[in-house]
Amino acid sequence: MIEVRHLTKQFKNIVAVEDASFSVRDGAITGLLGHNGAGKSTTLRILYGLLKANSGTALIDGIDVMASPLKAQAVIGVMTDAHGLNPRLTAREHIEYFARLRGMQRHQMTKRIDELVALLDMSDIADRRAEGFSQGEKMKVCLCRSLVHDPQNLIMDEPTNGLDVMTTRSVRSILQKLKAENKCILLSSHIMQEISALCDEIVVIAEGRVLMQGTLDDLAKKTGEGDLEEAFMQITRTA
Amino acid sequence: MMWSVITRKELKDAVRDRRALMALLLFPVLGPAMIYFMFNMIIDIAEEAGDVSLPVVGAAYADDLVDYLEQNGILIEEVTLDADPVYSGEFYSQAALDEIHTAIRNRRFDYLLVIPRDFDDLVSQSRTANIELHLESTRAKSAPKAGRVQELIRGWGQETAALRLIARGVSPDVINPVSIVRIDVASQQSRVQSILGIVPFFVIMAAFICGMGVAVDVTAGERERKSLESLLVNPVPRYTIVIGKWMAAVLFSAVGLVLVMVLNFFSLSQVPLEEVGIVFTIGRLEIIGVLVTVLPLALLAPSIQIFVGIFARSFKDAQAYLSFFMMLPMAPFFYNMFNTQDREFWMNFVPMLGQHMLLADVVRGETPAIPDFVMAGLAALVYSLVFVYGASRLMKREGIIFS
Repeated sequence: MIEVRHLTKQFKNIVAVEDASFSVRDGAITGLLGHNGAGKSTTLRILYGLLKANSGTALIDGIDVMASPLKAQAVIGVMTDAHGLNPRLTAREHIEYFARLRGMQRHQMTKRIDELVALLDMSDIADRRAEGFSQGEKMKVCLCRSLVHDPQNLIMDEPTNGLDVMTTRSVRSILQKLKAENKCILLSSHIMQEISALCDEIVVIAEGRVLMQGTLDDLAKKTGEGDLEEAFMQITRTA
Repeated sequence: MMWSVITRKELKDAVRDRRALMALLLFPVLGPAMIYFMFNMIIDIAEEAGDVSLPVVGAAYADDLVDYLEQNGILIEEVTLDADPVYSGEFYSQAALDEIHTAIRNRRFDYLLVIPRDFDDLVSQSRTANIELHLESTRAKSAPKAGRVQELIRGWGQETAALRLIARGVSPDVINPVSIVRIDVASQQSRVQSILGIVPFFVIMAAFICGMGVAVDVTAGERERKSLESLLVNPVPRYTIVIGKWMAAVLFSAVGLVLVMVLNFFSLSQVPLEEVGIVFTIGRLEIIGVLVTVLPLALLAPSIQIFVGIFARSFKDAQAYLSFFMMLPMAPFFYNMFNTQDREFWMNFVPMLGQHMLLADVVRGETPAIPDFVMAGLAALVYSLVFVYGASRLMKREGIIFS
């Protein structure tokens, strides 16, 4: 459960996020939809504790991120937009590293990693060094290590960006599975198809402001447009 | 311990990085090898200067001179020329000259003294006799020997001149308005001492060089790979992350230090130092002393490199900054070269200067005072903690995490 209230973030003289408020509930996939540079990444970075907002609060399962970032980080899994891996470590070593940083014990960790490797169908790359991994393979490793501690909340920045159809589909099915486990999932995207195929709730953001939050139907009703793209265009135009 | 998770991961990575391993292994071998060769050269030269043998053509024609040379420690080696076995006394017979020069060029001789047949006649008639010293001046080994021979011949000449003057009732002082006596204080021993002075320099350099690859890779490398952001998403305090990374570099630096010291002592023990009158014994106490002195540097050098590495955007950036910091270990070396002051207590607080002086003492066979050890070690520890703290602060900066 994620609560964002009146969040504002300013870099020097650019206001990246302005008075943003929205909520993300458990058991649903929520999409943060906006153009490039609309403030999606900045909002997410505040939520996972790497940026400090100038004002406003962000609560994750009731924990104030700004006041106790480490506690908040303990209950989330994060997939950043940069999928940088260490070329000399294997996929499994990457995942083990994060599991250990989250304080997992060997037995529990090994079992969990085997599960995830099977789930993401990555047994062929699990013990290979990351050098030369494709975009999709890198992304699978990143997803694995963000899920290794079985977090209640999952924050993902552009998770399917640059992925082939096969990988995109397997990511989608995993997200659906997590949703069925009553997890709270927040992802950002600028791709309408992605959002409409995956998300239960949509938060439309433009120029750092949250313009609207609701289901696909809510958006259609409010704008009178059946197509998400048309609805999005209309919302951002009138703003 | 959470930091050890990070240290272990970074070490695993570093061990797989051939470049970092090469830096760790190559430098510690370089210094001791250099010291070994330098010492052997000095000892060779010292041995030969004391034991000069002189090939002479026509030694029989200058008994007096040859005696004089032998009395002064020169081993005369009589040489007969194939081109002119009985030696006719014709200096410039081309065949004789050719033979002499070929012999020198072929390294049968380094140099050769040629005495004319009429030498004794000319001398007894109080005339000037021309003798020739053939040598190859570019050959390093022959120069000091030839110098010594020339000096002795000149000495004999002066003695003879004095006798001639006395025979004519003139004081020899008339032709010697000034007499110069050269006293060389630089013994072989002090030359060796000045080479021993390089040992601390190599040891301090090793602290900086051996951990640098790791320190840069875990900081600037992490930023360049774009893996820093995802690391910081884990609920681990920044100082824990910095300490974990620092410790990985510290381990490399410490291994390098120990390696360079072991190899240095090994190469010194292989050199016959006693032949130039140096007693260099390394006991357990000295080794412990040196280790206690230099190990704080294995903490300090990587802490500086981690700090600079976090500041740098990329690997290249970091290397450019750090090549400037490589001047740091050289500073105390040069300071001590020109420093005429005695050691003072404040010098212990200057990082690296303190260690340099302690090491110099130990290598010279002196035992520095315990307070000096403690203060220099503590100073290095405090400075490294300052850099680690600074690095943790840097890691909190938004501009550093995202760029």
